[in-house]
Amino acid sequence: MNAPATQRPNSRQAGLGRIIIAVYGIFAISSTARAGYQVLTKFGEAPLAYALSAVAAIIYIIATIALASKKPGSWKVSFLAVLIELIGVIVVGILSFALPQDFAHPAVWSHFGQGYGYIPLVLPLIGLWWLNRHREAEADS
Amino acid sequence: MIVDGFFIAGVIICALSVVLSVVATILRDHPDDYAIISVAAVEVFLIVYGIAAAVRQAGGETISGEAWEFWGYVATALFVPVVAFAWAITDKTRWSNAVLAAVGLTVFVMLYRMEQIWDGATLV
Repeated sequence: MNAPATQRPNSRQAGLGRIIIAVYGIFAISSTARAGYQVLTKFGEAPLAYALSAVAAIIYIIATIALASKKPGSWKVSFLAVLIELIGVIVVGILSFALPQDFAHPAVWSHFGQGYGYIPLVLPLIGLWWLNRHREAEADS
Repeated sequence: MIVDGFFIAGVIICALSVVLSVVATILRDHPDDYAIISVAAVEVFLIVYGIAAAVRQAGGETISGEAWEFWGYVATALFVPVVAFAWAITDKTRWSNAVLAAVGLTVFVMLYRMEQIWDGATLV
């Protein structure tokens, strides 16, 4: 099995890329709904965890839009957003184990995304690998 | 939850569809015909299941759980194979087979829940 012939130079949005965009989209919608509910109704219970939930939701929205966009520069934005997501899930994951009293309430990134089947941890790794393989064509800009 | 003929038939059809689609993801670099047909079979099963449920309900059988929840699952599940089919005809790559594979898994979980609602089992 050689490199598939369907892979055009700038097919970032096709194939696995489309699945990645869809999964990011699902996370953007669900984490925004959940974070919005948490922040509006019970922010005082765990301000740190819920503020980070809101940050995560914003990152997922930016990543989804940038990954799906064909505009020049969107590659860089999506790479940064996915990288921030990876750093965020690692930092929050460590913090949630180090400071359990501040993370008693579940958030997307706490315990390395355990509540979401560790998808928040695996997704940025797949995303960065995919983006690295599908760099923006120089002729586009 | 009572394991009835509908549930067994659904599980077999979903399992076959998942296996075919996963194999197609590995072997094919385009959406595979058999994977698409298997997803169509899942849709046909859901239509038959829905009609049978309507007939059973009309004939006096009652849903032990919430009726709106049961029919909500039926209506939502009917969309799943359609969305995956639309995905496969608009993205002619290997990865559409992976999307088709997700249909059987998703419909299986939803069918499990529909059967639970029908028999009145509580959410695990």
